Amino acid sequence: MSIDFGAYEMTLLTTIGIGVTVALSLNLITGFCGQISLGHAAFYGTGAYCAALLTKSGVPFVLALLAGGALAAGVGIIVGLTSLRVRHDFLAITTMGVSFLFVGVVRQQEFLGGEMGVSSIPDHGFGKLGFMLFALAIALAVAVFSIYLKRTWMGYAFDSIADDEDTARTVGIDVGQYKLTAFALGTAIAGIAGGLYAHQVRFISPDSFGFIESITILSMVVIGGIGSVGGIIVAAVVLTMLPQWFQFIEDYKLLLYGGLLFAMMRFSPGGLAALTNKLLKRFAARART
Amino acid sequence: MSALLQTRDVVVYFGGVIALQDVSFHVESGELLGLIGPNGAGKTTMMRVITGVVTPQSGTVMLDGQDVTKMRVHTRVRLGMGHSHQLVRPFKAMTLLENVALAAGFAKTRVPLRALALTSRAGERRRALELLELLGIADAADSTPATLPLGYLKRLEMARALALEPKLLLLDEPLAGLNHLEARRLADTVVEINESGRTVVLIEHNLGEVLRICSRLVVLDNGRKLGEGDPHEVMADPLVRAAYLGASDAAA
Amino acid sequence: MLIFELFVQGLVQGSIYALIAVGLTLVYGLLRILHVAHAGLFTLGGYCGVLITNETGSLTLALLGAMMLVGIVGMGIYKLCYQPILSHPPFVALIASIGLFIAMEELYRLAFGPYGISFNQPPLQTSVNFLGMHLKLAEIITMLGAALLIGALALLSARTRIGVAWRATVTMPEIAESFGINIEQVRYINFFVGSALAAAAGVMVAVLNNLVEPTMGSVPSYKALAIIVLGGLGDVRGTLIAALALGVIEAYGTIYLGHLLDRDAIAFAFLIIVLMIRPQGLFGRAIS
Repeated sequence: MSIDFGAYEMTLLTTIGIGVTVALSLNLITGFCGQISLGHAAFYGTGAYCAALLTKSGVPFVLALLAGGALAAGVGIIVGLTSLRVRHDFLAITTMGVSFLFVGVVRQQEFLGGEMGVSSIPDHGFGKLGFMLFALAIALAVAVFSIYLKRTWMGYAFDSIADDEDTARTVGIDVGQYKLTAFALGTAIAGIAGGLYAHQVRFISPDSFGFIESITILSMVVIGGIGSVGGIIVAAVVLTMLPQWFQFIEDYKLLLYGGLLFAMMRFSPGGLAALTNKLLKRFAARART
Repeated sequence: MSALLQTRDVVVYFGGVIALQDVSFHVESGELLGLIGPNGAGKTTMMRVITGVVTPQSGTVMLDGQDVTKMRVHTRVRLGMGHSHQLVRPFKAMTLLENVALAAGFAKTRVPLRALALTSRAGERRRALELLELLGIADAADSTPATLPLGYLKRLEMARALALEPKLLLLDEPLAGLNHLEARRLADTVVEINESGRTVVLIEHNLGEVLRICSRLVVLDNGRKLGEGDPHEVMADPLVRAAYLGASDAAA
Repeated sequence: MLIFELFVQGLVQGSIYALIAVGLTLVYGLLRILHVAHAGLFTLGGYCGVLITNETGSLTLALLGAMMLVGIVGMGIYKLCYQPILSHPPFVALIASIGLFIAMEELYRLAFGPYGISFNQPPLQTSVNFLGMHLKLAEIITMLGAALLIGALALLSARTRIGVAWRATVTMPEIAESFGINIEQVRYINFFVGSALAAAAGVMVAVLNNLVEPTMGSVPSYKALAIIVLGGLGDVRGTLIAALALGVIEAYGTIYLGHLLDRDAIAFAFLIIVLMIRPQGLFGRAIS
């Protein structure tokens, strides 16, 4: 059996690489550090717009990408400050507000292209294959970083904050600083993913980075299993590819996202990771008998 | 006269209710001080002022000569304050060992970016096991808090606070909810901890044990300091008896 | 004159927000759940209103029918979606609700088409002279209708046994049961009433715009969340004030701040600013 590896497959894999990157970036904030964020698309979008406008002004691609990440991190830290004031439900609504605010502000700014967006984004110069490998490499790097982070003392501190942030303070953890660090890291990576996205599709508009997009990213994290790097990668791959596998699903894509989100939370809140664990345990138990 | 902890004229009110009114007392280095008083006296509020959960409307708290009144909780912890809660708060997703090891690694968690570079937990796990053994709960080291009885969780609170190598250890009703024998045993452990060189402030309702192990008492009632001094003298004070038993019994 | 006109426009919009937000805060007060899917019921109410009016010619019948139908659907959502997951952390219900809402919007799109449906003969379009302004009858009915419905709700909760049971369950959940209150019944009624109010809002919006389309619930749903937070989660009176205030602020804000950010973002800008100053919302009680 020969696998046809053409332009279509390369685009698909690139999209998957970007999707995995942005989902894992949200996982740092929501999964590892326990800060619910319903506005992650705003940082994705910040990186996209920043990188696009920079390359249009002649800045080299990789530099523009990094700048997008830095700007996204700057905005991310500001949003992260809200997590020091409010928690849980209030934080969910505040970050939801950030999502709407981003679209609302960007649409009104002429220099950002207003409602029409930014078009004719320059070629990245890597070639289709090169770009795909670049995107996949970044996704891999973020995955490895996430797994590493979980093992460090920062991961340990994050665990305690996600568990009970008031008690984390009583063991000497500067919760505020850690939350901001989580936001900075997560949003920087999202910004870089956004820059990649902008240069893949060569045209961006504000509506691509609104609340629905934030939910799409969150759904990858939640369906994969909050905090589970492996689960999230699988979820990101599947959710990106599903509409591609079955062409007719394209029209039903949102219905699928919504239904899956609901079904997962209703029947297995721990996501695919929890389901897999349960199945493995049952398998092991049966193997023993 | 080296007071490790000094509170001066602390005033706290919530809404229109005064919780603490001009409360001043000090704790000597090496003491085992008991902070007592009837329900609603303001003991836990006082503890929250000392640990930093609550900021007083006026008054000061000095730790080892340093004004910590406005400092945040984690900063005070790093200056040498360890405390355990009345309502136990273990990290539910961690084993007892991991709970204590996190506290033991306080040097590593100080700066987030530095913490990112550190992965080894072996030393902290060893220290955690030592502390769990000291508190007599090492047999549950690999269990999570959900399945354990209250006595274990109270001791976990203490082990975790000790892991911070505190100069001052504040214990909020560690004996509450324990039966007579468990309370006695835990109180003995507190004495051991104090004798190994740590200053302890003990908030407690269990007057029997308090009288047995504390070297000095401070009594609060209705947000004010009612008295302080030698435990037996304090308990003989008619004002203190009235506060606990009700004015009608004061004459008895 | 413009200032006053904007104010009235704001009140009309605020009345709609109030009808939606009250249902949302009722659910939050009882279950601590952010019932995002509530807005899907608002949309459903609009669809019912238009369809029933087009079939029967009677708007009154449509309003009552919509409120009844959607009220029942609301109870169904409680039973099938929320009741089974109450024991999980709150974000589970929140995300489930978001998923449900998105699915509902898509179902409306697939069932009725993306461009929406309208009345065959738009009712209440006559122009009325009110204090020198020209208002559509629909706008006046909206304000009156909202006031009536919410007033009725206030009366019922104060005077009837069910109302008292509801208030007891919200303020003292642990003890309410020992007083013999049937908690499940209270919850069902809660969802019925809240959903019926949202349906009424949907019908009114359908009349105001002569259009019901699948995504019409999106923006009000998120704004309603901002409103209930501002109003103090679970506090009906606060929510009411916040809803009307937001309607008015938006009316002025669109004119005077329109160059900075669009209408829908105003609500959230306002919310974020307030929360940063008072993390418990405008009327919420401080969390110690």
